[in-house]
Amino acid sequence: MATMLNLTINGKDIEAPEGITILEAAKREGIFIPTLCHHEALEPEGTCRLCIVEISGAIRHSIRISCIQQVKEGLVVETDTERIKKNRRLILELLLGRSPYSKELLDLASKCGVMTSRFLTGENDDCVRCGRCVRVCRDKIGVHALCWVNRGYERKITTDFERLSEYCIGCGSCAQVCPTGAIKIEDRGNERKIYTWGQVLARFKLEKCKECGRPYAPKKYLDRINERAYKTKGLELVDYVCPECVKKAERPTPIKMPFGGGDMPFAI
Amino acid sequence: MASKTAKQKTVVISICTGTGGIAAGGLKVVEAFEAAFVESKVTAEIGPRTHKVGCRGFCAKDVLVDVAVDGNTETYQFVTPDKVEKIVQEHILAGKPVKKWLVKKDYHDFHSKQQKLVLANCGTIDPESIEEYIATGGYRSAEKALKMEPDEIIDIIKMSGLRGRGGGGFPTGIKWESCRRAGGNIRYVLCNADEGDPGAFMDRSIVEGNPHSVIEGMIIGAYAIGATEGYVYIRAEYPLAVDRLRLALDQARDKNILGKHVFKTDVDFDIKVVLGAGAFVCGESTALMTSIEDKAGEPRPKYVHTTDRGLWGKPSNLNNVETWANVPLIIDRGADWYAGIGSEKSKGTKIFSLVGKINNTGLVEVPMGIPLRDMIYKIGGGIPRKKDFKAVQTGGPSGGCIPASHLDMPIDYEHLSEAGSMMGSGGMIVLDEDTCMVDISKYFLDFCKDEGCGQCTPCREGVAQMVRLLTEITEGNGTLEHITLLEELSHMIQDASLCALGTSAPNPVISTLRYFREEYEAHIIDKRCPAGVCKALTTFTIDETKCTGCTICARNCPVGAITGEKKSPHFIDQEKCITCRVCYEQCKFGAVQKG
Repeated sequence: MATMLNLTINGKDIEAPEGITILEAAKREGIFIPTLCHHEALEPEGTCRLCIVEISGAIRHSIRISCIQQVKEGLVVETDTERIKKNRRLILELLLGRSPYSKELLDLASKCGVMTSRFLTGENDDCVRCGRCVRVCRDKIGVHALCWVNRGYERKITTDFERLSEYCIGCGSCAQVCPTGAIKIEDRGNERKIYTWGQVLARFKLEKCKECGRPYAPKKYLDRINERAYKTKGLELVDYVCPECVKKAERPTPIKMPFGGGDMPFAI
Repeated sequence: MASKTAKQKTVVISICTGTGGIAAGGLKVVEAFEAAFVESKVTAEIGPRTHKVGCRGFCAKDVLVDVAVDGNTETYQFVTPDKVEKIVQEHILAGKPVKKWLVKKDYHDFHSKQQKLVLANCGTIDPESIEEYIATGGYRSAEKALKMEPDEIIDIIKMSGLRGRGGGGFPTGIKWESCRRAGGNIRYVLCNADEGDPGAFMDRSIVEGNPHSVIEGMIIGAYAIGATEGYVYIRAEYPLAVDRLRLALDQARDKNILGKHVFKTDVDFDIKVVLGAGAFVCGESTALMTSIEDKAGEPRPKYVHTTDRGLWGKPSNLNNVETWANVPLIIDRGADWYAGIGSEKSKGTKIFSLVGKINNTGLVEVPMGIPLRDMIYKIGGGIPRKKDFKAVQTGGPSGGCIPASHLDMPIDYEHLSEAGSMMGSGGMIVLDEDTCMVDISKYFLDFCKDEGCGQCTPCREGVAQMVRLLTEITEGNGTLEHITLLEELSHMIQDASLCALGTSAPNPVISTLRYFREEYEAHIIDKRCPAGVCKALTTFTIDETKCTGCTICARNCPVGAITGEKKSPHFIDQEKCITCRVCYEQCKFGAVQKG
């Protein structure tokens, strides 16, 4: 049992277990703090800076990001002061400047009171450089198909040498965790394509389901699942059957083996 | 002592072979002296020998050569290989120094207000010889420290009041103590030699001129903290510094000063050199550590101090080159001596690289708290061509501009940050009346835009937008709303950025808006660049009453926009003029007016 700590968020006295972040504590209390780069399955990186809060009490008065700062006894947290709101709105305006048509971003912005951006750049790239896709691919799948290139304003996500990725297994986790839908996964006929605005990251031929004959997953992906299932639980995929047929047959399904453990989402 | 004959003297020629010296032809001067000795058959009791030394500070007068005959030293400036023959013949053989080539009054003025402690041996000893370093008392402090208790050393450093010279000014002793108190058995000491600020060359000169002082400081620090491994993270753009540092490390290992059983004690310590790959952001502590770990050099949020969890997750103590070089001095001469130098809260001396629109460009070491005026006018010798001093930019791209009204301000950590700038690593760029403050802010912001890692939104997007706004102002498309937006963005970036590069990136804009707001307004309201730098907002005209018709402007104009008869006033065709400023710079009568 973790020690419970007492702290204040927006004037409300709360108890939170040691070791959790301010963001998690706020969520438990139903207090909304906007985030883009945070994903509960991933290690926080703290780069979008939307989750900034003002803290005082146990730590000297400062602005910190709530997705990394852990709760402390006697901490006083303010999530919605004028200063925080002003900074947050500006950050959203800046993001909208490059991604003016992203529905998810527009929704989040309007929730924070931002209707238009004063920083339109003429670009139309839904990617907000949160790096969730890079992190899920690297830390959870262990594949390193996606990487960052360039520095500063030119920073972007791509594959090695900006070519079709050799390493991608086509699991689609990147598209799944992308907060703005900038990375897309599309199955058409017997082909799977993973792409962003302006670049196809990877392409795969889909294997057919042994029962219904529908193309359903790339071979690399199934091999990977097989390997992982064998290594961790000694299970082996014998027949290649799509999730729907598995469900219909109501039999135990080795395909549900999650990769990194925990609640990793899969797009199958 | 045996009496010396006329020819048997002690002759030592010390030649500057720092980067500035080599660029000015220092190595050729060394060769020329050696050849001249052979040719003119100079013999002497000791020598004659040429002696390569590190940066002597007054880079504007390179190549500087000290000729010491029987201990009487005379210094020559602007020495070139063709001057060597005459110096050898007249000074060394005939005993009459060549007066016209000797250093003048400004050389002595340059040094009069300085107090060289860290740089004391830099420029007098050969950086490639460990023997010379040891002969001047080198490694004495390390040997002494290894006989003391680690806590005792930390107490001395704490009492000395030494603060980090890399910019932040954090008390060094406290940093060491928290690293020593951190858990685990493995700790690291790191040296930050990734000096990336434009116009800064303090750390470079120390490593090039006296690398052993840094190594000695690190040995003392490692022992006090309990580390057995050290790293020097140095820019690959400093090849000479890297070579000399590596040589120094090898020499120290040969003498059992590094490696197993340092100074025959139970202490093991060695230093590795890691080359930076040209990213400015790697000078930030956490980015530097990720870079040593072979990852992309990007900062991480620092909610756990690096003294608790740094390199490879182990407690790490990072100090700057100059901080490390201060340590042996403090151990040698004591905390009280050190605390007696400098101002109330900033102790010791600080090295600055004095560059820009200043007569005496060079490397300067002064006690903390010296007034800015002394720095600019006494040491720096004032502004060239009798122009007016406008501001001084300190602290690199993330520092600020200090205006003429603050000339009497003492230079130390507190006063610099009060004035809206910062100590930084010690770059000092002097700006004269011909510098446009909007343009200079744009330059520094542009630097940060290119050099930021791009991880966090405020710095990546915000700085880029600030550059866009500043560009619009300099192109004459600014509105008063631009200033409001610049201010809003500046405050947000300061509040919300991930690392110190981001939080300090808007400083040039904030400080110029604080002191030179009217210049921004002139660009926006009057559509005029008062300094005549922003091309879209500047026109050059010739004042007919002042023009003597010397034709120098017409002859130098690259586009042939200036016409006029000899000895009668000239005229600039605005259609053709590209506002390159050549006529303005060339006119000796002040007839070319900017507006």
